Amino acid sequence: MTRKHPSDLPQPGADKPSRGQTTVRVILAVGGGLALVVLGSLVVDFGLAPSWLTGQKAARSTAAADGEGEKAKLFTPPDESAIPDDEFGQSVRRGMAIFLDTGTNAHDFVGNDLSCSNCHLDAGRQAYSAPMWAAYPVYPKYRSKNKMVNTMEDRIKGCFTYSMNAQASPSGGPPPYGSDVYRDLQAYFFWMSKGLPTGEKPEGAGFGKIDKPEKEPSRERGEAVFAANCAVCHGADGQGQKDINGKVVFPPLWGPRSYNWGAGMHKVDAAAAFIKHNMPLSQPGKLSTQEAWDVAAFVDSHPRPKDPRQVGDITVEDGLKKWHHSHDGFYGQTIDGVLLGTGFPQESQAAAPAAGDNSGG
Amino acid sequence: MMSDKMKQDPRLPDETFEPFEESRRIPLPVYWIAIALAIWGVIMLVETSHSTQVADKERAAQNAQDVTATAPVTAEPAAAQGHALFTANCATCHGDLGAGSTGAVPPLAKSDLVQAGGAEAVVRIALRGIDGPIAVNGVTYNGHMPNFASALDDKQLAAISSHVATSFAGAKDGIEPTKVAELRKADAGKDPWAGGAELASAITGLPAQPARPAPAPAMAATQSADVETLVKTGAGYIWACASCHGDKGQGMETTPRLAGLPAAYIAKQLHDFQQGTRFNDSMAYVAKALSEEQIQALAAHYAVMRAPSTARPSLKGDLARGEQIAREGDWSIGVPACFTCHGPSGFGVAPDFPALAAQHPAYTARQLAMWAGGSRHNSPLGLMAGIGKALNDVDRRAVADYLASLAPVPATPKTELAAIDASIPVSEGDAQ
Repeated sequence: MTRKHPSDLPQPGADKPSRGQTTVRVILAVGGGLALVVLGSLVVDFGLAPSWLTGQKAARSTAAADGEGEKAKLFTPPDESAIPDDEFGQSVRRGMAIFLDTGTNAHDFVGNDLSCSNCHLDAGRQAYSAPMWAAYPVYPKYRSKNKMVNTMEDRIKGCFTYSMNAQASPSGGPPPYGSDVYRDLQAYFFWMSKGLPTGEKPEGAGFGKIDKPEKEPSRERGEAVFAANCAVCHGADGQGQKDINGKVVFPPLWGPRSYNWGAGMHKVDAAAAFIKHNMPLSQPGKLSTQEAWDVAAFVDSHPRPKDPRQVGDITVEDGLKKWHHSHDGFYGQTIDGVLLGTGFPQESQAAAPAAGDNSGG
Repeated sequence: MMSDKMKQDPRLPDETFEPFEESRRIPLPVYWIAIALAIWGVIMLVETSHSTQVADKERAAQNAQDVTATAPVTAEPAAAQGHALFTANCATCHGDLGAGSTGAVPPLAKSDLVQAGGAEAVVRIALRGIDGPIAVNGVTYNGHMPNFASALDDKQLAAISSHVATSFAGAKDGIEPTKVAELRKADAGKDPWAGGAELASAITGLPAQPARPAPAPAMAATQSADVETLVKTGAGYIWACASCHGDKGQGMETTPRLAGLPAAYIAKQLHDFQQGTRFNDSMAYVAKALSEEQIQALAAHYAVMRAPSTARPSLKGDLARGEQIAREGDWSIGVPACFTCHGPSGFGVAPDFPALAAQHPAYTARQLAMWAGGSRHNSPLGLMAGIGKALNDVDRRAVADYLASLAPVPATPKTELAAIDASIPVSEGDAQ
């Protein structure tokens, strides 16, 4: 039996590798180290590294993932700073000014307190708030509303006629064909749509889809939703709010200074889709589908200016048969003892700040 | 050989044995990792020092730019500068094209008043602001314009006014900064122009102006000795409001400017401090000692105050980015423009949306951070929580700095306070 005492052992240095072995090992170690670095950086470069290892890249990729998949497909219109500094660019800027403050920059043709950008958010750029880049490439197109092929000019004329209630404007109607208002607005839309194929409806067009509600939309429930979520900006009476100079900050949703009975927004399904995807501002999606339908029913069951097609001795009953039988709205119904669709006396529509008087209105 | 060892059980280990480890080579992979880490460390060091150098260079360039921007003489063409200043300071209300806003803000483009008064009239209006009816192109506006004396220097005012007069109203000549300095001296400390009538009496040749309105009746609440005492010297164990918020309600650093905030907003904040729905130890202490009457009186006191701006951009925020967030928003991160709710130029919309203009950047940025972190949570619908979270630190500083650069809010007109004080402001016809 061999009993080894420490002192009996060969000294540690005894089997030290020879010089040559050491060199080989150093080369192997350094080479392997370098190879690891190269491998590691390749892995990171190709994005194969697990997200918890790489701080910033992880944040970015999760942010992209949060971007709700479909958003990745959404078109991004060019930035305002990309408007060219030439004659065309000036037209684009004028169009943008009309879009943002329609009552000022297309003064003669606006009969209420709204601007295009009240519903087409972010100056007409926001997806699912009927962005103009999604509308421009699909015109001209046939519209059953007026049973003809509409050019973009026809379409904008419709906006002025109904949503901007041109019947109560200083000129009494929408801009005439060929007006610079159309020219500048179209220049703005055209500029914004750069790069999109024509004839194809892009993702983000219109107000987006909304599911049918589980329960029949209810004005009563809608009133509660409105008080809790909308009144802080649009006012408890839905008449919007102005700043100390009388400039409209929050648009009125019904009454004589809002959109009329011919506007798309008077249809409960359209309003519900807009609300679901865009309201309350900065908190889209906060309201449930049912709440969006309920509050849309509440908003759209108030008196507003009459349908401008309802001229002469055409009654609300006629109007209902002619234009309002096939869609979802309160036109022609009697709510709280008021027949909806009769509008307001012309005086009260024109009374507000139309031309000279600026006392609020 | 009769030693003790011999008696020992041979199976037992030798007592003299001491454990030891045979020398083993360190495995190669350990060397690889160590060397790889060392190389990575060196690379990171080099990269970091490099980016620090780049940042230093950028900062130096930025500082150099700042110096040129504030230098008395600038190489930038006056016209371009005037346009940029107009966009940042005036276009918020008057529009990018100077068209004003129907029924609210008079136009500058083709304005008969600017045509008649030239750049000098523009400067004199900007230096004092307006509080009263003013007629432009035959239309009377109930004007409430801030004064820019505290927000813009002589050179900036000269550039803006020259731009307005020459590009919008066809004037041949602008105005020199030295002339602006003279006008500033002459008009120093004066109240806003009481509408077009007073303006017409100072500048000859202006188009016909509406008569000067009767001065607003003095408000009993504001004048009451109680409020004066509270504000200036405090009462009982409560210290004076002015000791932190300043004698003009101008605030400083993280203490907010109060002058010109909507009365209902001030009252709500005091109530929230009282009830603990907004946290601040000092304010909770003060608010709990206030009676309901005192709260309403203080709110009215500050709402009608017009105080020059003492706020200056001081957080090194990117003003262009701040202007973008305030005026257009950044919808890619779900942030609408500040001005969508807080009103054009950040004047506020009573009762729920406070003025932002000329607020101290440290206060604004801090509140945004508090909304984001949840330590402030008293905004209607929780609107500000989402906004605060969507903005990162750089954006918060940018927007706070831009808002600090604006002219102060032209105070709630005394005659309108009663209407605005009501919880539902129906502005129909109450403006005059």
